[in-house]
Amino acid sequence: MLNEDRIVLMTKMASYEQGEGRENMSIGRYFRGDYIALRLLRAFLSGTIAFVLGFGLYILYDFEEFMADIYKMDLLTFAQNVLIWYVVFVVIYCVAVYIISAYRYGKAKKSLKCYYHNLKKLENMYRQ
Amino acid sequence: MRNLLEIREKVKLLYSRSEFILIPVLKFMLAFLTICMVNGELGYMGRLDNLGLVLIVSLLCSFLPNGCMILFAAVFSLMHLYELSLEVAVAGLAIYLIMFLLFFRLNSRDSVILIFTVIFLGMRIPYVIPVAVGLLTSPLAAIPVACGIVVYYMLTNISANATTISSMGADEATAKLRLVIDGILGNRAMLVLIVAFVITIVAVYLIRRMSIDYSWSIAMIAGVIIDLVVLLVGDLMYDTNLSLGMAVLGSIVALIAAKILEFFRFCVDYSRTEKVQYEDDEYYYYVKAVPKMSVSAISKTVKHINTQRRSVREADEDEDMTIAPQRVNRSVVTERTGGPRNGQSRPYRGRGSGRSVTISSEPDAPTDDYEEI
Repeated sequence: MLNEDRIVLMTKMASYEQGEGRENMSIGRYFRGDYIALRLLRAFLSGTIAFVLGFGLYILYDFEEFMADIYKMDLLTFAQNVLIWYVVFVVIYCVAVYIISAYRYGKAKKSLKCYYHNLKKLENMYRQ
Repeated sequence: MRNLLEIREKVKLLYSRSEFILIPVLKFMLAFLTICMVNGELGYMGRLDNLGLVLIVSLLCSFLPNGCMILFAAVFSLMHLYELSLEVAVAGLAIYLIMFLLFFRLNSRDSVILIFTVIFLGMRIPYVIPVAVGLLTSPLAAIPVACGIVVYYMLTNISANATTISSMGADEATAKLRLVIDGILGNRAMLVLIVAFVITIVAVYLIRRMSIDYSWSIAMIAGVIIDLVVLLVGDLMYDTNLSLGMAVLGSIVALIAAKILEFFRFCVDYSRTEKVQYEDDEYYYYVKAVPKMSVSAISKTVKHINTQRRSVREADEDEDMTIAPQRVNRSVVTERTGGPRNGQSRPYRGRGSGRSVTISSEPDAPTDDYEEI
């Protein structure tokens, strides 16, 4: 005999699993620290590549002038300044990624808690 | 209002029934429009401005994820830029990569918003975007909106300076690059638009999440006003040549669009708001429940139940009868129709509850359809 409540619950859960739930489940596999650390590592790498690209554009923007001044300028101070800019940039970016990742993890866990509660409810329905 | 709600239900029903075909069709149309806009705005590589190719790519986009649409649009634009100048294409590629690495990776789910931003900017109605995004999504969607604004201004700037770029020689490579970068970093109008849109998205989001009556309406009106004020202040500070008439007109269009979105997404009846208060061992609860305005989809069930005219021969075979039975034709018609309107207490909960039963007995009426009972 078909149980209407059970079908409604299963349909809701299947819809969740195929949509929003898929991403949440992939987040839920990690511990909070692991998830955020992985995100920060990726952010560090992509931030570094983006900084290199931006720096390349900066150099190319005034390439003739840069090449004319290269022998006059203190290269060590220049490298130090670039390094400082790089650290500031990557730190700000990583902080932003940390906040977003922590928020997403919390949201996903909350959503998964509701999903697991529904699973338990479904199990009880089968037992009855 | 009731008719509108019925139309909404019909649209929802139609969408849920034909979702599997409707979404690919919409994605196809969006991809086609986007690539046509890129070709129309740039169009330096003649081979790409081919209807067959555009149709094939749009068809691919219709069943691939939304991110692929952006990828194809980016590839098309870069190939056009390459045809114009290698240096410009390199600068374009670097800017796309920076946007992808820094911002787009953070919120790839709302990638389609970037496409909509570029399209709406091209159609000169960009003010719809921040209000709609604030109402429907999270503040993180400000990232694709900002990326979309940058892409649009970069492409229009290159398109406006195409003659200058093509007239430059190979020895002026850095000058070409400078033109593209200055077109982005030195474009005050673009920066003001990004700031205005980001502030508007955040403000609309925060207001519509508030526990106040008519929060969506307040959010959209406040959003439009904030957007206009920031744009005007930006114009005063940086002389961005903002057209006030167009901005006001665009804001009115944004309000209308937002109202339509509200009707489909958040149509509630504040006159029937209920506030309840209770407690358990750990908390006090102050709950405000606002009922949704809805009508059930109209469903008509017509059931014909007829006693078939039985022939004399059949009657003789079935029963041992000496007298032919009288010809009887009886029909029961069960029709499910719209129920009574329930007055003020539940004004939009009428349809689908009424049922009328008509029983008619017409001894000699000729009928064709029979269902024996």
